[in-house]
Amino acid sequence: MTALAYFNPYSGLNFFGVMAQLLSRLGQLVVGSAENHLYSDELQILVLMGVALSSSLVGTFLILRRMAMLANALSHTVLLGIVVAFIATGTHQGLQLVPTMLAALSMGVITTFLTQLLTRATRLQEDASVGLVFTSLFSMGIVAVTVWTRNAHIGTEAVMGNVDALHAADLKLVAVVAAVNIILIWMFFKEYTITTFDAGLASALGISTVFFDYLLMVQAAATSIGAFRAVGVLMVLAFLTGPALSARLLTHRLSHLLVLACAFGMSAALFGVAISRHLLSVYGLAMSTAGITVVVIVLQFLAVLTYTRTRMVLARSA
Amino acid sequence: MQSLWLYFTDPVLRGPTVGCMLMCVAAALVGVLVLLRKQSLIGETLAHATYPGVILGVLAVAPWMQGESSGNLLAVGVLIGASCSALAGLWSIEALRKYAGIRSDAALCFVLASFFGVGLTMASRLQFSHTRLYVQIQQYLYGQAATMTDQHVVLYALLALLIAILVVLFYKELQVITFDREFAKSLGVPTTSIDNVLFLLVVLAVVVGIRSVGVVLMSAMLIAPAAAARQFTNRLSILLVLASAIGAISGFLGNYLASELSVLLVADTGGSLGLPTGPMIVLVATALTVLSLLFAPERGLLLRLWRIARFRWRCTSENVLKNIWRDQERGYRLHDLARHLDMSRVQLQLILWQLKGQGWIERSKRGGWQLTEPGRVWAAQIVRLHRLWELYLTDCLGMGVERVHRSAEEMEHIITPEIEERLTRILDNPTTDPHHQPIPPREGNLA
Repeated sequence: MTALAYFNPYSGLNFFGVMAQLLSRLGQLVVGSAENHLYSDELQILVLMGVALSSSLVGTFLILRRMAMLANALSHTVLLGIVVAFIATGTHQGLQLVPTMLAALSMGVITTFLTQLLTRATRLQEDASVGLVFTSLFSMGIVAVTVWTRNAHIGTEAVMGNVDALHAADLKLVAVVAAVNIILIWMFFKEYTITTFDAGLASALGISTVFFDYLLMVQAAATSIGAFRAVGVLMVLAFLTGPALSARLLTHRLSHLLVLACAFGMSAALFGVAISRHLLSVYGLAMSTAGITVVVIVLQFLAVLTYTRTRMVLARSA
Repeated sequence: MQSLWLYFTDPVLRGPTVGCMLMCVAAALVGVLVLLRKQSLIGETLAHATYPGVILGVLAVAPWMQGESSGNLLAVGVLIGASCSALAGLWSIEALRKYAGIRSDAALCFVLASFFGVGLTMASRLQFSHTRLYVQIQQYLYGQAATMTDQHVVLYALLALLIAILVVLFYKELQVITFDREFAKSLGVPTTSIDNVLFLLVVLAVVVGIRSVGVVLMSAMLIAPAAAARQFTNRLSILLVLASAIGAISGFLGNYLASELSVLLVADTGGSLGLPTGPMIVLVATALTVLSLLFAPERGLLLRLWRIARFRWRCTSENVLKNIWRDQERGYRLHDLARHLDMSRVQLQLILWQLKGQGWIERSKRGGWQLTEPGRVWAAQIVRLHRLWELYLTDCLGMGVERVHRSAEEMEHIITPEIEERLTRILDNPTTDPHHQPIPPREGNLA
């Protein structure tokens, strides 16, 4: 799991070849004859799937709680957190787990807090204060990263992500983030459900809606930072909203919603990597894998939308 | 100062400077309208949605790009592409709301992310095959004013002018529709068409602005100047002018800081570095907004907090006076004051000193505090207001005697002489309150 091989059995394969190769590798893993390392494509699939898993879980609640635009703000502001974490640890390589998590925690809290402060203290509309807070923090992040690295292009890479530059350490970060998200959602499932759907009942039971708002924002921040290297800080928004919205069209039950959203997100990640490899092998097109995954998420949504619309029209005409 | 002026006269610097200012003015004008309609975040989505259009526009004009006019051609291509793509984004938001029943915040977010994702995928395709175009496109992410020429500025100036003309032309309709939609409908204003004009304005402002502020940060220039100007006025016309001025200042200072900082950094490392203008413009604009939010007269946070604190202090002082007065009346012991008023001894001491300085109280011969004659009149007046209000609540509003004290504790600091006069008349100049305490008569002229 530590070293990446120079020889990659996925190179030159088309979409179906990638799938077959992946299956045979999984088979080897079950039998126990697998080599002891991950190839780059497998790493990409695992990382993107981890990102998709985290974001689908968090995104479902974000959308149900009408906090989507706050998540948008957060996906911008984590850049500042990442830059500060980088500068504080004084390293150009890979994100270290503890400072990264601290950055996520603080940016989640700071963004939410500043937005609410602006809204309450200065009577600015909520959407305007959201807009002000995240654009200014993001600007600081961009200026800081440009001045610090003396390179105007880092800022561009920060929003685009690059799956080809992933390390095994990134997988570890994504896995930890996904695990934390799963555990928190599982532990507080009841509290999240109640505060999402019935604020009155929540306060009667003594459950603080504000606390869970903050916790969700921190989880979203951790998810964004985990996704930063692979998909960049802005495209993670598609991971957060897309699968949850697709699932929302199909079901009204919360548990089904979560499972479906995860399924949509993770399958999009798998297909994204496979399509990216296919385009490279067959057509010689090198395109952003994260971008392709986002396109797959959008296509999934459109397909589900078409399906539900047709069914509705058919039901009406019948 | 001279170097500042240079930014308007130097042929290389003047293009970016004027361009940035015009773009920010256009954005600020439209921003005021969307801020008042509480649709600030639509700009965020539409700005991100222009990104695939920027790329398509660049690709479309790429084959003809040769020689002198290539820059202009590129600008036109980007403008057209970005507008189409923003309109597609606008349509998608509406479609998601209407056909998929998705709430507007989620729809905004999803459209933003998917358009931007599609754009980035397209950009990544060009990264290796068309490196020169790729660099041009990436400048639109965070804005890069430095390469703007006078000809570009003319183009953007025309568009900014178009926005200003549209705002002036539809001023009446936009005003009435912003503040009272139902009233506008009853007047026969075509609300849907005016809505469309507004959306068109947003699209135009965004498309013009992305050259200097960038796709990612464009929404800030719609929000910040409008929010800052809102602190100073309630009139729409003044609001528009003020916001434009704040936009122009941020445009100028942002561009100035970005190029000065780039020069500094280049001198430091020896390489070439073009700091994007967008973040600097946004930082200047938000700094101006934060200053206005804090210090604006009337609405500014600090002044508001100061007024609240001063009012609280006055209430406490009046309570102290009242208690000293009642001490004379009922024979309370003075050092019970702190406990009775439930306040710290330090604060009480400060208030006593201040009251003494103002001549309301003085040291009595026994070592306590006693009211001076003006102090006694004032304290009696406070008690009079308190008891008048209690009587009004029981007699005219039918509230129970035991429930009126708390309300009167607050109202005694608020009732104006006019209200007092009317209360006196309604209650027929009473002499006792519901607790059978005497109501002190009105005496003297009180400030």
